[in-house]
Amino acid sequence: MIRLEHVSKTYPASARPALDDVTVDIEKGEFVFLVGSSGSGKSTFLRLLLKEEDPTGGRVHVAGKDLARLSHWKVPALRRSIGCVFQDFRLLPNKTVFQNVAFALEVIGKPQHQISKVVPEVLDLVGLEGKSKRMPDELSGGEQQRVAVARAFVNRPMILIADEPTGNLDPSTRVGIMKLLDRINRTGTTVVMATHDAAIVDSMRRRVVELSMGKVVRDQSRGVYGHGA
Amino acid sequence: MRASFVLSEIGIGLRRNLTMTIAGVITVAISLAIFGAGLLAQRQVSAMKDFWYDKVEVSIYLCGEGSKGPNCNGSAVTPEQRTQLLEEVGANPLVEKVFYESQAQAYENFKKQFKDSDDLIQNVTPDALPESLRVKLKDPTKYEDLASAFIDSPGVEEIQDQKALLDPFFRVLNRLQLVAWVVAGIQILAAVLLIGNTIRVAAFSRRRETGIMRLVGASNLYIQLPFLLEGVLVGIVGAALAAAGLAALKAVLVDRLLQPMLKFTAFVGWGDVFAVIPWLFVLGVGLTGISSFFTLRRHLRV
Repeated sequence: MIRLEHVSKTYPASARPALDDVTVDIEKGEFVFLVGSSGSGKSTFLRLLLKEEDPTGGRVHVAGKDLARLSHWKVPALRRSIGCVFQDFRLLPNKTVFQNVAFALEVIGKPQHQISKVVPEVLDLVGLEGKSKRMPDELSGGEQQRVAVARAFVNRPMILIADEPTGNLDPSTRVGIMKLLDRINRTGTTVVMATHDAAIVDSMRRRVVELSMGKVVRDQSRGVYGHGA
Repeated sequence: MRASFVLSEIGIGLRRNLTMTIAGVITVAISLAIFGAGLLAQRQVSAMKDFWYDKVEVSIYLCGEGSKGPNCNGSAVTPEQRTQLLEEVGANPLVEKVFYESQAQAYENFKKQFKDSDDLIQNVTPDALPESLRVKLKDPTKYEDLASAFIDSPGVEEIQDQKALLDPFFRVLNRLQLVAWVVAGIQILAAVLLIGNTIRVAAFSRRRETGIMRLVGASNLYIQLPFLLEGVLVGIVGAALAAAGLAALKAVLVDRLLQPMLKFTAFVGWGDVFAVIPWLFVLGVGLTGISSFFTLRRHLRV
């Protein structure tokens, strides 16, 4: 589903590469934690998958597409097959919960009758039934992140990318979000999650890819956050 | 593409950015109005040319008793010379029609023309006025060709083109038109830059929305169209105001002030105004569209 072959990325302003000869293969339906300290290259890794950046070396394949050969106007189609969740939720403050999720479908031209059918479904799935008319600032952090997950998943993407999705949440809320991501993973969606959260990685016991200074220093199935085990 | 979505996005954008939008509309309106005034000036020139060139003629004055002209030898034109000239001028392909005006006829016309100034008429006798051939050209601008063909003919004292009297007037109008276009050009440049800036600010103030749109895979068209249409809408409203301005110019300045004052000439009609207005819209929409398009390419990368 995702394959990076000897991928390097050096930003123009920096001497040290953000990613240095990274080779990773992620199968369909996998749940992968991307760990490593700040500046280790996790965010660059995720940005490459979305073709927000192009690698300076190597090849990136996502959902069967060679991103280097993907023409500019096909990038939106790529991004429709990938859902994204971020640490800062990125909700639109002047839209309701329903409208925030519906926005993701409206802007890719989905018809209204389909929107009014699938948005309540996905809100039920993430546990926000009955809150569709709330504004984001009336919700707790965990609930806001659920809205973001609903928006990322409403178009049923093949891949869900989560960049520190629990970073702004308190421990009890984190567990709820992780359960939600786990449930989405069980529907067959590939999940790639960058995180600093050792407790979560340790409790989930899923594949762990650790980056350090832009290199893959560990790739372990059923791994933990720290070294060893 | 869902129209309601795009329309609501445009509405949000224009309201958030109201002061810039108004500034954009005003600049577009002023620049297009000046441009339109330039076009109308051009049409005014051609209206006057049509009006006057239809009336002007070339006068070939014939030698009289004691004429100083080089072809005259101090004596009046002979009847043979006159007949030959009439034939030759009439046969010239430039000439639409020609007629002969005798001294007596010239005197009658003179009396008619200056009927309000008796002392002038009393001081002039038919003998003082030269006989002439009055020539109407097919193309009034071809005066030089006709003059060079007959200026050396025996019995011709002088050739005079009435059009030459009008030329300074047309030169002034042409220069006014040029000035209008230079001013319009500068204004249009300002308008284009202002629209570009308006769109840039709009794109910046909605970067959260557009960022999400990019992430969920909205197409370029979907992301950029509301901004593009915002720019074009400014162009359309500006052009409409400019069109209203031109109509006011025609109704007040031309019809109320100039027309009653200057009865001797023709002025632009409503047909000219309506012929100019579509160009204002073409230019307004085209310029704002292009300006928005290039701004978006730079500031709303997908």
